[in-house]
Amino acid sequence: MDDHTCMVNVASYFIDFLAEECCGKCTPCREGLKAMQKLLHGLTSGKARSGDTLLLKDIAEHVKETALCGLGQTAANPVLSTMKYFPEEYEEHEKEGFCRAGVCPEMYSLEIDPKLCTGCGACAKICPAEAISGKIKEFHTIEKSSCITCGSCIDTCRFKAIDVIRRGSK
Amino acid sequence: MIEITINGIKTEVLEDTKILEVAKKLGIKIPTLCHHDALPPDGNCRVCQVEVYDRERGKGKLAIACMYPIRKPVDIFTDNEKVRDARKSVIKLHLNRCPQAKVIQELAEEYGVEPLDERFIEEHDDICIRCGRCVRACEALGNNCLSFSGRGWNREIVPPFNEPPEGCLGCAACAEVCPTGAIKVTEEEGFREIWGRKFRLAKCSRCNEYYATEEYLKKLDPDEVIDINLCPRCKKAEEARRIGELVK
Repeated sequence: MDDHTCMVNVASYFIDFLAEECCGKCTPCREGLKAMQKLLHGLTSGKARSGDTLLLKDIAEHVKETALCGLGQTAANPVLSTMKYFPEEYEEHEKEGFCRAGVCPEMYSLEIDPKLCTGCGACAKICPAEAISGKIKEFHTIEKSSCITCGSCIDTCRFKAIDVIRRGSK
Repeated sequence: MIEITINGIKTEVLEDTKILEVAKKLGIKIPTLCHHDALPPDGNCRVCQVEVYDRERGKGKLAIACMYPIRKPVDIFTDNEKVRDARKSVIKLHLNRCPQAKVIQELAEEYGVEPLDERFIEEHDDICIRCGRCVRACEALGNNCLSFSGRGWNREIVPPFNEPPEGCLGCAACAEVCPTGAIKVTEEEGFREIWGRKFRLAKCSRCNEYYATEEYLKKLDPDEVIDINLCPRCKKAEEARRIGELVK
């Protein structure tokens, strides 16, 4: 896990898994995990409402307290611990629809830093949307309107020249 | 005998007594959904939360009253803030799934529970709260025709293969114990329909009431020793009359 791991996405991944594995016997786990899933899907798609993070925390804490078995009692842990140690990521997801790790689709923009770009062209080659242009050995640019934020360019760039920035900012 | 306190009231109980039993004896009300006096407890609704304070460990923990067996001296709180808060959270989740169920609405009103917003509403076509009372009733009184099926949110209670159950006796014990009325029973002209099956009802020759399905009577009395033409009430009346004549 590094700075390109979105902790809200991590929590969402685990809750998806746990909601699938839930046996469905007791109410908090069966209904609570579903509700937490809804909230996390909203947070990771830019559709969260104000107060969602607090609501998610509330439901998570109650599921942990009232569940019948160990699955329900520990299901809330990924959410609660990511909230505890990465509160800024939750806040940015909820309030700004911004994913600083560059993971959640359409919640970030990509920009090439001209000071670091060597013009190797690797990113342009791998971009599935053909959104990157530039001459070899000259700094490249990403056409934001074509960019589908798949993140392939970030994974490819060996010079850490691609930054994750807020959408609509320069 | 184990000495405990419940809401500050001191009392003594036998080992393994459930908290709910003690509360009932003392007239302390604890809300329940999946509990039924005539059926074994299941502990799935999580509404009957209480706090059990363990004196040895100096810690309080939530437990469910219908199943928690008392095995050492503890202090039980059935209505403090922690308990009410936990109960409210569970009722909120029940309310989200089945807002039309009257028993849930009443609980929500009693505890001042507000529903979650409209995003959390999932489309579904039943008002079953998955309490499992029908399953346990069919195990105890019927032919074991109902069971849980599936996993997670989609868990549901169905007869085998979701088809009209062959072993069903039409006793409608399941519908009787259902807290939300999720099981449909219709009776018309001496026939009862339930779970997609139709049953003929036996009629009492004395009071003219339909009182049981023939299948159920057959299970109770396979050798047909009992006269099915009399309902239990009229049978008693007949017996009383006969005893009266003998005494004369």
